[in-house]
Amino acid sequence: MGDLNTAAVNPGKTRRRGGIKRRHRPAEIIVTVVLSILALFVIFPFVIPFLFAAKTQLEFAYHPWAWPKSFQIKNFIDAWKAVRIDRGLINTLMVCIGSIVCTIPPAALAGYVFARYRNRLTEIFFYLILIGYFIPVQMVLVPLYKMEVAMKINDTLYGLFLPMAAFGIPFWTLIYRSFFRSLPNELAEAARIDGAGHWSVLFRVMLPLAQPATVLAILLVFIGAWNDYLLSLILLTNQDNFTMQLRIASFLNAYGTDRMPRYAAAAIISAAPTLILYIIGHRWIIRGTLAGAIKE
Amino acid sequence: MVVTAGRSASQGKGRKRERGTTLFIFLCVLPALLFLAIFLYYPIVETFRISQMKTSGLSEEVFVGLDNYRKLFADEEFLAGLKHVFSWVFWSIVIQLSLSFFIAFGLTYYSNRMSGTLRAIFYLANILPSAITAMLGKMVFAPNYGILVTIGKVLGWKWLASTDFLGNPKLAFWSVFVIATWAYSGFYIIYFMARMEQIPRDLREAAELDGASALRYAWSIVLPDLSYAIRICAVLCTVGSLKLFDLPYLMTTGGPGYATVTLGISLYRHGFVNWNYGKAAAIGVVIFVLSLVFTIIQFTLGKKKDT
Repeated sequence: MGDLNTAAVNPGKTRRRGGIKRRHRPAEIIVTVVLSILALFVIFPFVIPFLFAAKTQLEFAYHPWAWPKSFQIKNFIDAWKAVRIDRGLINTLMVCIGSIVCTIPPAALAGYVFARYRNRLTEIFFYLILIGYFIPVQMVLVPLYKMEVAMKINDTLYGLFLPMAAFGIPFWTLIYRSFFRSLPNELAEAARIDGAGHWSVLFRVMLPLAQPATVLAILLVFIGAWNDYLLSLILLTNQDNFTMQLRIASFLNAYGTDRMPRYAAAAIISAAPTLILYIIGHRWIIRGTLAGAIKE
Repeated sequence: MVVTAGRSASQGKGRKRERGTTLFIFLCVLPALLFLAIFLYYPIVETFRISQMKTSGLSEEVFVGLDNYRKLFADEEFLAGLKHVFSWVFWSIVIQLSLSFFIAFGLTYYSNRMSGTLRAIFYLANILPSAITAMLGKMVFAPNYGILVTIGKVLGWKWLASTDFLGNPKLAFWSVFVIATWAYSGFYIIYFMARMEQIPRDLREAAELDGASALRYAWSIVLPDLSYAIRICAVLCTVGSLKLFDLPYLMTTGGPGYATVTLGISLYRHGFVNWNYGKAAAIGVVIFVLSLVFTIIQFTLGKKKDT
């Protein structure tokens, strides 16, 4: 689990480890072609919204799958107004930032203690947090909603990102724990001999070293919060508070296919941030996703 | 390690230092525990309590014991959800995991310049918001404008052009399943690939020297080596199926009839549409118990096979 940095999860690097130069065999070519065709099937659906969003409503009604005659930028503007995308983006962004701020620091602190201070006390705490990792979110929805109503934080954005953070903390604690375990002990020891206390070792030495884990956490927590649907659906009721995903889903329910080009345009805008993040950082994202599962 | 460092100092100083260490541990763990206590531990306990109550949120709570559970097992929607979850688990393990295994094996065994890109593409659908995944699913299967129907029209296949995939109870489940396979297999692929790359290269070279074909190598060396990884994925598959909500809800809202209802959907409907908290909490408990049981079963079964 600790090998966030190893080449084990990176196919490009392991290829030449054997030092053998292989020629491309026919089987290899056939398999690669078949897999590429499969990959085309995977990618193809991503093209559909662009095809639809470029058309006028009339054009869509008659020739949904034909090549668009001209690119209707108007759909994007209309969608922006109809779904109030500006509001949705701000709400979702707030949820993402809140989720990042509330998930990562507690997880990093707890993970550090579990990695470096191992005794019976921390063991008990560790298992307490591990329980959280195995609880399906669905199990607690009803009491969560009741509690939020009682606390009067339902239908607010922080009422959404606080539980979201709570559900994410166990996983990220595990990740930080294994990351801190994989760091060499010498630096912390040296700092301690120089008279640094627990806190300054943590903040001056260890946390800066954990930067790769933190970058991953920020990336993945952001994507998770951006994509959330179920929690937002249950906890938010006021249209003004709706996140992007809720807006997209309710737009489809309200208009069905009558406004498909506009809807497709809105969908493109709402999926764009995660997609762009993925295209830039897919190596990191994949590596980070695997880090959670790989050496358990 | 810190504790021993403290001990080497003089006795009084050591104790003070130890107390400082304990305080440090508490302060570091406190935020995480606080979050979990409020938003997880307390609701867990509450779920068990509410599941034994007759309550709608507005009305008074009345203790009814296991009555909610008894009612659930006479509830058509819940039973449909339960049935679908079981077949969903079965088919995802059979279809999604084996498909992912072959794709991962192909990408690893014949790794070349394309492999990295292909891997990134196969995982792409996994990071999409489920609202978008469901929308794309609708665009594929919808009547009138869906791509399958359009293909049917172009080719003049009336049976395809007139098929309502999401409106037909028999096809709706499989339509959602196809989209789920498209969206979720990516994780299993990247996970299997990471595992396959950890297999020592010598094994493969030895197999090749012995004249083993790619399939033989996959069957005799890679598959046994991945048994643990496959078990992990089976557990993830199972727990994921128990929690399944977004995709079927957004694509079909569980319909037509109860054709695509899952446990997650029936929980949502009972709790947040009909406002029957007691029943919904009982479904929550069922989801929890089932995911626990499945996880334990899959790990004990797997262990026996290993030895």
